[in-house]
Amino acid sequence: MPQHLIERSNVFPKNKLLAGMIVFLLVPPMQLVAQDPATDYRQNCMSCHTIGGGRLTGPDLKDVTKRKDGTWLAKFLVDPKAVIDSGDPYARQLVEESRGVIMPTLPGMTPQRAQSLLDLIDAESKLEKSQFQGVKLSERPFTPEDIVVGQRLFVGTAKLKNGGPACNSCHNVHGLSGFGGGGLAPDLTTVMERYGGRKTLSTWLTAPATPTMQSVFKPHPLDPEEVLPLVAYFQSTLQRNPEDPSTARLNFVLVGLAGALLVLALFDLIWNNRLKSVRRALVREKRLEAVHE
Amino acid sequence: MISTGPFFLDQIFFIVFPYVAVIIFLLVSIRRYRTEAFTFSSLSSQFLENKQHFWGLVPFHFGIITILLGHVIAFLFPREVLAWNSVPLRLYILEASAFIAALLTLIGLGALIFRRVTDPKVKKVTSWADWVVFASFVVQILSGIYVAIFHSWGSSWFASLAAPYLWSLVTLSPDITYVTAMPWMVKLHIVSAWLMIAFAPFTRLVHILVAPNPYFWRKPQVVRWYSLLRNRV
Repeated sequence: MPQHLIERSNVFPKNKLLAGMIVFLLVPPMQLVAQDPATDYRQNCMSCHTIGGGRLTGPDLKDVTKRKDGTWLAKFLVDPKAVIDSGDPYARQLVEESRGVIMPTLPGMTPQRAQSLLDLIDAESKLEKSQFQGVKLSERPFTPEDIVVGQRLFVGTAKLKNGGPACNSCHNVHGLSGFGGGGLAPDLTTVMERYGGRKTLSTWLTAPATPTMQSVFKPHPLDPEEVLPLVAYFQSTLQRNPEDPSTARLNFVLVGLAGALLVLALFDLIWNNRLKSVRRALVREKRLEAVHE
Repeated sequence: MISTGPFFLDQIFFIVFPYVAVIIFLLVSIRRYRTEAFTFSSLSSQFLENKQHFWGLVPFHFGIITILLGHVIAFLFPREVLAWNSVPLRLYILEASAFIAALLTLIGLGALIFRRVTDPKVKKVTSWADWVVFASFVVQILSGIYVAIFHSWGSSWFASLAAPYLWSLVTLSPDITYVTAMPWMVKLHIVSAWLMIAFAPFTRLVHILVAPNPYFWRKPQVVRWYSLLRNRV
């Protein structure tokens, strides 16, 4: 087939292509849904912050506008990472107090939306008892049974009630059998320590606020009955060291390589004689004839 | 409209790219099929060399078809894939099988590139468009294999994250929150997929649209070669 046809072909006139793209760009692709600040707070802030209930992963936000001016806070809300990276001393201090957990950047957070959240926090701070004082969580001691249930939820053998995917889809915990847990997201062996204990981790899990976790678990939230055994499981894994050697990943790669070689051997077995009996024999015969002529 | 701010680039990569890619793919494919139907082929070089070709073409196609099918199944039936993966052993079997298919694709691609470079006859018919195809496959397959090893388990998180992202594009209400916080290798894999879709109609990849599926069930045909005798007639 003539190759040069492709290179030379004016497959599509440029002006029409351009027109198509412009039509597309006129369609507003990003849907920015305005929502009321209380819902916004519940979905995006509550997992790490209380108003008047003490610190969780992030600081207690009661009277936050008295501690820092509104412009700075709004700027921080829109893009926390940028403010932290700029070397702002107050932002650095916040990260330190949060044990290195960086506040996630929320897609679609605008200065206006940040301002209405700050107004809400202001109004709630004035109340004696804010509706965002904290989630009520069971404080009963963990049992060995909880740990077993927690592990089953983690690896997926027990289904999450609201249809969320099992933790091992993306996360690993050191010491899982087989090929282990996922590597997309952070290893959770010592997550309880990182997030500062039972209360903060439990609250965080009721409405996970990092962008990826939120997009998966907002429509399929964890049930409080599931949060407790999961946290019990994470407490039990604190004794393991995530840095200890593990062969799970290596085993996976080796099984893959062995499997690929096996399939190649199979291809050879099935098609080893292809073309040999008819086509190549015919070609050889004709070549010989041509030589003898 | 596209908003500026920390997610500006993500919006270009994960909203603008896919729509532009699909529009280009559809329009250019149709246009090429109608005006230059004879270029609508894989431009096979099997007649020029068919021994090395076997060890490139066969593993590559078995691998890539399995992998592509896996992506399509997880896109169409995410809940079923998650249900299958709810038993760790089944998850590991699925992931290992997909990984084997990915390695076969890579081995096949390597063999095909080697053949293109070393066989003089095949080298002669290789165009710049072929090298674009090879280069994009190298990026796509290597990033996919990296993700399979270091950002596992793709079959589960594709169902939970990539499938809803893709569906949000299909339903014209793009939601990039699923992908904004992904590791950069995953992002590369997605962006380079959009680029491949956009480039496909300009290259030999169009043969995907005209694959001769009836070959699977038609009777075998023997093609006789008698060009050496032609001189005598």
